[in-house]
Amino acid sequence: MSKTRFLILLLASLGSWSAARAQDVVLVANKGVQISEITYTDLRAIFMGTRTRFADGSHAVPVTLKGGPVHEVFLKNHVGEGPEEFRSEWRKVVFTGQGAMPKAFDSESALIEYVAATPGAVGYVSRISSQDGVKVLAAVK
Amino acid sequence: MRQLSRHVLLFLSVCTCTGTLYAQDSAGIAVHGFVSQGFLFSSSNNYLTMESSAGSLQWTDGAVNISDSLGDNLHVGIQLHMYQLGELGGSNIMVDWASGDYRVNDHFGIRAGKVKTVWGLFNDSQDIDAVFLWILLPQGSYPIDHKSFYLAHVGGDVYGALSLGKRAGTLHYDGYAGQATIDLNDGYIKQFADIGLVFTNSLGGKTYGGDLQWETPVKGVTIGSSGNAQAIDGTAPTGSVHLPPTFTPSMYAKFSRGKFYLAAEYDREPINAILTIESAVIPFVVDGRSWFAMGSYRLSKKLQAGSYYSHYVNKAADTTQPANYSKDWVLSGRYDFNSYFYAKIEGHFLHGTALGYYSSTNPNGLTPNSNMLAAKIGFTF
Repeated sequence: MSKTRFLILLLASLGSWSAARAQDVVLVANKGVQISEITYTDLRAIFMGTRTRFADGSHAVPVTLKGGPVHEVFLKNHVGEGPEEFRSEWRKVVFTGQGAMPKAFDSESALIEYVAATPGAVGYVSRISSQDGVKVLAAVK
Repeated sequence: MRQLSRHVLLFLSVCTCTGTLYAQDSAGIAVHGFVSQGFLFSSSNNYLTMESSAGSLQWTDGAVNISDSLGDNLHVGIQLHMYQLGELGGSNIMVDWASGDYRVNDHFGIRAGKVKTVWGLFNDSQDIDAVFLWILLPQGSYPIDHKSFYLAHVGGDVYGALSLGKRAGTLHYDGYAGQATIDLNDGYIKQFADIGLVFTNSLGGKTYGGDLQWETPVKGVTIGSSGNAQAIDGTAPTGSVHLPPTFTPSMYAKFSRGKFYLAAEYDREPINAILTIESAVIPFVVDGRSWFAMGSYRLSKKLQAGSYYSHYVNKAADTTQPANYSKDWVLSGRYDFNSYFYAKIEGHFLHGTALGYYSSTNPNGLTPNSNMLAAKIGFTF
């Protein structure tokens, strides 16, 4: 058995999810969210505020981290924006009265806690454990 | 010196007060704000009613808003705004927008109250200094001395987005109708006063229009078109102004991807108004054509640089005269100290005097060309 396969099995046995690639993130959603995968287009639209619902029509509540490498990786890989551009776009929305900025968290644990407790919430973290009470969403093209 | 102290004190006091807020979010209620202080120096002529040829700090902007989401679909809020631009604006606090927004679904929503007017690339956001690299937006399209008139209308909007499928992108629309008002601190009021028409009451009229924006399947590319019809009527002790509904179209495109930003816009403003001063009836005819092209690049997380060219010409007059055109080459830089504080610097190489100049602040006439240095510091949360 190769070291890699052993490592994968070990992580699975610990009941933990982690990013598929070192430079990616895990998408998490409230357990009440019915979908299990989300397109990159929908994800970008939800996090940029141009869409407020998932593909099944249920209400989406995007949440973010305030900053850091996980935040930057998520924005780059899934939203296609830098953190400065993302912040600027949302400020435009807020100061023109067209919406409210996504709730932002200092830590991944606080984000997970909020996602677990908030219907429709969707966010991202570097890794989760099976005890976190959230579901994982797969991003698809 | 006294003026400098006043502006710096105002800026610092707002920063201090708001510094503890940090986009407060309590039980769904969010509070945001911004404040900026500008400086303008021009090699000749006084620009935008400031004594810019001597260097002027009469350029302060500030706003604070409070909003709340009442359920999944309803969002309400209000933003108060104050600005001083030379002799314009002043200490009056204005309602920038105050609206209720009910989004039925992603395809259809209604916004009512005092609502920002969507037109072209930047009309509704032109007063939010914090979101731009530029200190002055292209003045042919977004004249800062008239922003209080163009920014918002009292009425309602319908808006939404329609997905055209994976290979065709998304269509965003916004349609509106209402009333727009020129407040007594706007540049138009000063321009009227300079020719002897002193208004003591606000003037304005019905407005309606819309914007159609196609988010193309090519990543980062958006193409759009807007149209606005605006009527103006007002009576002053010495006369009146009448502008029948006038249609102002705009076409634009932008490309935003990674560190690059490119945008271009073409606008037309055909004005055929009647001014009555005492017993004289004066036709006021302008065929304003303006376009701009801009580009910027993010050099690092904190540093951004860019340039644009803005072109304005009044086709209804002799276009060889500097009073009928304005051509501006601009170089800009922005440094973000952190998420809240930023500083900007901008050079303007301005040819022509069609925009931004007032006879009362240039009593000795105007020279055709002027170079300008603008600087700003700002704070937002």
